[in-house]
Amino acid sequence: MRVKPLVKNLLRFTNSSQIYLLGVLLIAFLLAFLASISLGSFNFSVFELFNSSKTSLHTTVLYEIRIPRVILAAFVGASLGLSGASLQGLFRNPLADPGLIGVSAGAALGASIIIVLGSSLFPGFIFGAFILPMAAICGAALVISLLYVFTRGFGYQGITYMLLVGIAVNAFASVGIGILTYISTDSELRGLTFWTMGSFGGASWYLILPAIVVISLSMFWMIPSSRKLDLLQLGEPEAYRLGVDVKKLKYKVIISSAITVGVSVSLSGMIGFVGLVVPHLVRLLGGVNHSYLLPGSALLGAGLMMSADLLSRILVQPAELPVGLITSAIGAPFFLWLIFRIRKI
Amino acid sequence: MRLYFLVISFFSSLALSDCFESIDSSRTVIAGGSLTEITYFLEKEDKLIAVDITSNYPEETKNLASIGYVRALSTEGLLSLSPTLIIGEDDMGPPLVIDQLGVTGVDVRIVPEEQTVEGILRKIRCLSSILGVSKSSQDQKISLLNKDVNKLSLLVAKNLKSPKRVMLILNMQGTSPIVAGQGTSGDSFIKMTGSENVASSFEGWKPVNSEAIISYDPDYIVITERGMGSFANIESLANDPSLKFTSAAKNKNILTEDGMAMLGFGVRTIASALKFSEIFSKK
Repeated sequence: MRVKPLVKNLLRFTNSSQIYLLGVLLIAFLLAFLASISLGSFNFSVFELFNSSKTSLHTTVLYEIRIPRVILAAFVGASLGLSGASLQGLFRNPLADPGLIGVSAGAALGASIIIVLGSSLFPGFIFGAFILPMAAICGAALVISLLYVFTRGFGYQGITYMLLVGIAVNAFASVGIGILTYISTDSELRGLTFWTMGSFGGASWYLILPAIVVISLSMFWMIPSSRKLDLLQLGEPEAYRLGVDVKKLKYKVIISSAITVGVSVSLSGMIGFVGLVVPHLVRLLGGVNHSYLLPGSALLGAGLMMSADLLSRILVQPAELPVGLITSAIGAPFFLWLIFRIRKI
Repeated sequence: MRLYFLVISFFSSLALSDCFESIDSSRTVIAGGSLTEITYFLEKEDKLIAVDITSNYPEETKNLASIGYVRALSTEGLLSLSPTLIIGEDDMGPPLVIDQLGVTGVDVRIVPEEQTVEGILRKIRCLSSILGVSKSSQDQKISLLNKDVNKLSLLVAKNLKSPKRVMLILNMQGTSPIVAGQGTSGDSFIKMTGSENVASSFEGWKPVNSEAIISYDPDYIVITERGMGSFANIESLANDPSLKFTSAAKNKNILTEDGMAMLGFGVRTIASALKFSEIFSKK
C-alpha cells in the first residue's frame, strides 16, 4: 500500500550514484546480519544448522536467543538513524538527534523508576519482563503529550520554541534520573548504569514482535515525506508557499520519531551516537536529499547497530560490553576520518 | 608543627586497622550494613546514633539518623551529629572525608573485611573489642553461632566432593543478567557454601550474555530479592529467555535471598550460607 509511493519517491528524486550507494549500504547491512547471526559466545556453525533439521541446544540458542537479539538491534539502529535524519531535516539543525526532543529522556526516566523502585511499586507484577518497556513507553508518551501541549499542537512559534521545550524536558528528566540514582542501592545502581549504556541482552520474541510492528509502521509513515523535508530546507514560509503543509509535516515527523525512539529506548536502553552521526555519515557519502538520506540512514543505522552488538557480545565474552560504548567507539573515528577526507577535497 | 601532624596522622593510620577498645563509644556512627547487623547482634545498639543507608537490617535501624551512602559521606553532616566514634569498612569514603574526620579528633575505625566464615567471626570479635564488649560476653555471643558454623563446615566438606555449579545474579532488569565474577562478594558467598562459581573467567559484577549463560549451564541460580525486581515469582523468572534454557531453570533450581543477608558478610550471612549449602548438598 505505502510501498508504491515509497519506491516511486525513491526513484524520482534519487540520482543513480545514490541508488548505487543505497545498494552498497544494503549489502553491508546483509553482511552485518550474516556475521551477527553466525558469531557469538556459543560456538557453532550456523550453515550446518540450517542444513541439518535436528533440534538441539544450538538451534534453541540460534532461534530463541541470537536471532531475536540481532533483529532487535537492526530495528533499533534503523529507527534511531531514520528519526535522527528526519529530525535534523525538520529542525534544519545538524545537531538535532532523537534525544533532543526529550523522548529518550522521558523513556529513560520511566525505565529508571522501574529499575530503582519497581520491586516496591509493583511487587509480584504479572508481566515481569514487560513492565520495564511499558514504563519506558509511558515516559516517552508523557513527554510527547507535554510537548504537544506546550507547543499548542506542535505549531506554536516555529521550531526553535520546540527545541527549547525539548531541552527543558531533558533537564527535568535528568533530575528525576539523578534522584533515582541517589536513592538506589548498589545493585540497582549497577542495573541503572548498565541500562543507560544500552544493551540488547533482554531480547526475546514476545518482547520484540510488538516493537517490530510499531517501528516498521511508523517508518513507512515517515519515509514518504522525504520530498517535503527537502522543501522545508528552504525555510518554513517558503516550504509553506511551495505547498507543504508544514504543521502536518512537523506532526508526522515528531510523532513517528517519538514512537520509534520511545520503543527502541524502552527495549535497549540509551544508545548514543547512532541517531546523531549516522545521518551525517550518509550525507557525507552521497548527498543531502531526503529520498536518499532517510532509507540510507535506516540501513546504515541498522548495520552499524548490529555490528556494534556483535562486538559487544564477542569482545569480552562471556561478559558483554554495553553496546552504547561500541557504537561511539567505532563510529567516532570513522566520522572523523570522513570529515578530514571531505576537507582535503 | 607539620611534623607533629605527621606523627599524629601516622599513629592514627596505624590505629585505623586496629581492633582495640575506643575511649568513648557512647555516640557511635556506623557506615556498613554488616557492622550495624553485628552491633545489634551484640546488643550494643543503644550506642548507635546514626547508620548509613546500606544498614537496613534489623528494622529498628529505620529509627536512627541516616548518614547517606557509605562511599559518599559528608564531613559536616557527620560532625553535626557530634559522634565520638565512627566505624566503617574498607569501602567507607571518600578518603578525604575520612582524613578530615581523623583531624577533628573523632575516633575513626576501619574494620577489616574478609569474606569467609572465619572472617565474619573475626569481624564480630573486632567490633566487640572496639565497642568494649568483655571477653566473656564475646565468647558467649560467638558460641551462639558455633552450631551453625560447625554444621556449615560439615556440609561444605561434603559439598566440595562434587561441587554444584552455581551462578549468582545481582540484578536482571533492562540488561543482560548482572552476574558475580571472580573477586566479588557473590563469588565468596558461593565458595562459602562449598560450591563452584560458574562465572570464573572474568572479574567483578558484569552483564553476561544469554548465550554464555546457556553454555555455563549452572545447576543452581541464586538471585538477590531486589534483583528479581518486578518478576512476580520464580516461575516467571525461570521463563526469562536468558535463563530458560539452563538446567537450573528446567529443574526449578532458582533460589532467592535477601542481598544484604547473602553478600553483606555479617551475622546473617552464616545462616544464609548454611541454608544454601543444605540445598546444594541434596542429591
